[in-house]
Amino acid sequence: MTDITRRRLLGGIAATSLWSGLGFPLVRADETLKVGVIHMGAISNTGWEYYQAEAWRALQAKYPNKVEVTVLENVTDIQSVERQFRQLAIQGHKLLFGTTFSQYASLKKLAPQLPQAHFECCAGIEAGKNLGVFEARHYEGTYLTGIAAGRMSKSNVLGWVGAFPVPQVIYSLNAFLLGARSVNPDVELKVVWVNAWVDPAKERDAVSALVSQGADVISGSPNTPVQSEAARAEGVWSIGSTGDFSEYVGETQLASFELDWSPAHIEATQAVMEGNWEPTGRWRGLGEGGFIRMSTRSPALPASVAEELDAAQAAIVAGDLKPFAGPIKDQSGELKVAEGEELSDSEINSMTWLVEGVQGRVPS
Amino acid sequence: MSETLAIVLAAVVAGTPLLYAALGELITERAGILNLGVEGMMVIGAIAGFAAVYYSGNLWLGVLAAGASGGLLALAFGVLAISLRVNHVAAGLALTIFGISLGSYVGKPLVGQSLSLSEVQLSGGLTSLPLIGPLFREVHPLIWLSWLVFAGIWFFLARSRAGLVLRSVGESTASADALGYPVMRIQYLATVFGGVMAGVAGVFISVVYTSIWTEGIVAGRGWIAVALVIFATWRPGRCLVGAYLFGGMTMAELLGQVIGLGVPTELLSATPYLATVIVLVLISRKDSTMRLSVPASLGKSLDIKG
Repeated sequence: MTDITRRRLLGGIAATSLWSGLGFPLVRADETLKVGVIHMGAISNTGWEYYQAEAWRALQAKYPNKVEVTVLENVTDIQSVERQFRQLAIQGHKLLFGTTFSQYASLKKLAPQLPQAHFECCAGIEAGKNLGVFEARHYEGTYLTGIAAGRMSKSNVLGWVGAFPVPQVIYSLNAFLLGARSVNPDVELKVVWVNAWVDPAKERDAVSALVSQGADVISGSPNTPVQSEAARAEGVWSIGSTGDFSEYVGETQLASFELDWSPAHIEATQAVMEGNWEPTGRWRGLGEGGFIRMSTRSPALPASVAEELDAAQAAIVAGDLKPFAGPIKDQSGELKVAEGEELSDSEINSMTWLVEGVQGRVPS
Repeated sequence: MSETLAIVLAAVVAGTPLLYAALGELITERAGILNLGVEGMMVIGAIAGFAAVYYSGNLWLGVLAAGASGGLLALAFGVLAISLRVNHVAAGLALTIFGISLGSYVGKPLVGQSLSLSEVQLSGGLTSLPLIGPLFREVHPLIWLSWLVFAGIWFFLARSRAGLVLRSVGESTASADALGYPVMRIQYLATVFGGVMAGVAGVFISVVYTSIWTEGIVAGRGWIAVALVIFATWRPGRCLVGAYLFGGMTMAELLGQVIGLGVPTELLSATPYLATVIVLVLISRKDSTMRLSVPASLGKSLDIKG
């Protein structure tokens, strides 16, 4: 930052007065690294924003004196998102994190324009100029929890509450059934789309509808405590998919997996501090440094099933078990993945078909 | 309980918050006040009622808190729209935005908390009666209350003198004023009543329907209620039918998928809005139907002295 433009000067003055006004000590840029994070929604105790917040909290905990994190939440509209990112960059934040796919398009445009900062976007599609992306292989988690569901179902009918039929939800539920069928070939998965990202009352009705048609293990995406609570009220099992709701529903939640974005935040910060940050795309699942980890297991889960889960997890981490390895048929019975083949990352990421045994449809 | 009865009951549960909110909005609009803040008032009612039940364990305290907070918010709207003559649409939209934001802020510590069934359902008393006892167990007291409220509103509007005065205010605020009716007081009462009903609709969702607090719990039902008033052409009877019709649509949408009927679910999701647009088109075709249906002074701020 050698050339002082009018805008930077004004921005600097604004930033300085803001920080001193808030009572923060003024620090020189070379002493601490300023990191900015913008949340689209409010940070609560569960859900997407919670895991985003856990990542920068882990970052703060790791570098208490070297990193200073500025967090903005509830920045909902795209214009504000762009303005705030610009402002953070001008204020001297060297590393900026986008927290949702909805910010990806803005960041793709902004990142090349603001070379004084580096950008990272969670759930972005691909790395761009000055923009890294990271996303989790949710399907590894749903495959494992599917094993638990397949073993515990007595009716051989599982239920899935889906928000909208987007590829990420589709590959998650496909892997859930593939996991279940790996231990119980007779099991089926009924899917209900609620056509809303957030509508707890409708999610509850969806669970009732699934249970009334025989489902005895309920999962979904985005998974919410409402679904698990409704499952418990109906007297069936639930699965914590990208969230652990055992605190609310106790041992009726069979198993859960959670998101962990802290490796992405810490690695990027480290790279920026060392001056060797490069825009990369990272799509990681289970294992060391991964973005997914298995969490609570119900005491109701028999030891044999727990062992089965451990073995499958080890195999996935080692790369011996690929959830989307053939043979896989679609709903119509057509062979989509031949024996000995597996789906590529881009094929998984653009999945719009349902595997054999899923009762439901993808609106065309 | 048979399966069909369970489905019908689920549709009634889904329709009840719509019924409460729409009946309240109907009274407000019949007095010439267009309050688009229903969604916001429902959110505030939902969190206030949920918090009250959560901490006190008493359902009726929750209903009271929800009604009071919804009414208070409506009162604020009344000050803007009736006394200060702010544009109704702008003030209503502001109320919705305010209510949603305040609701998620206040509700933060309660996210994910749930209520146990004993707090939500009543026992003893009526439920132990033979024959009709089970009906009281299955049908929540707040649903019974909604039917009572409906009957009361129908009687009030169609059969009582006070209802006639209220309607006259909505048809021609200036004439009612000239006749010497306390127009502003009537409009305030109607607005606050609408807020109380929206608040009760909110607590029904958070306490009875979901029994759990999360953000976004109302999820646009306030807007469906506003649409429902138009769909019902400002008549309580059609409001009742419409509420259960729209509630039934939700169940049809979800059950249709599970059973595999192959119905286009997005279309069913959009039904309340589509139906409202169709009704609007139908009543707008002729001047006479327009005059018969829409309160003529709806949404107009008039220069009256109260």
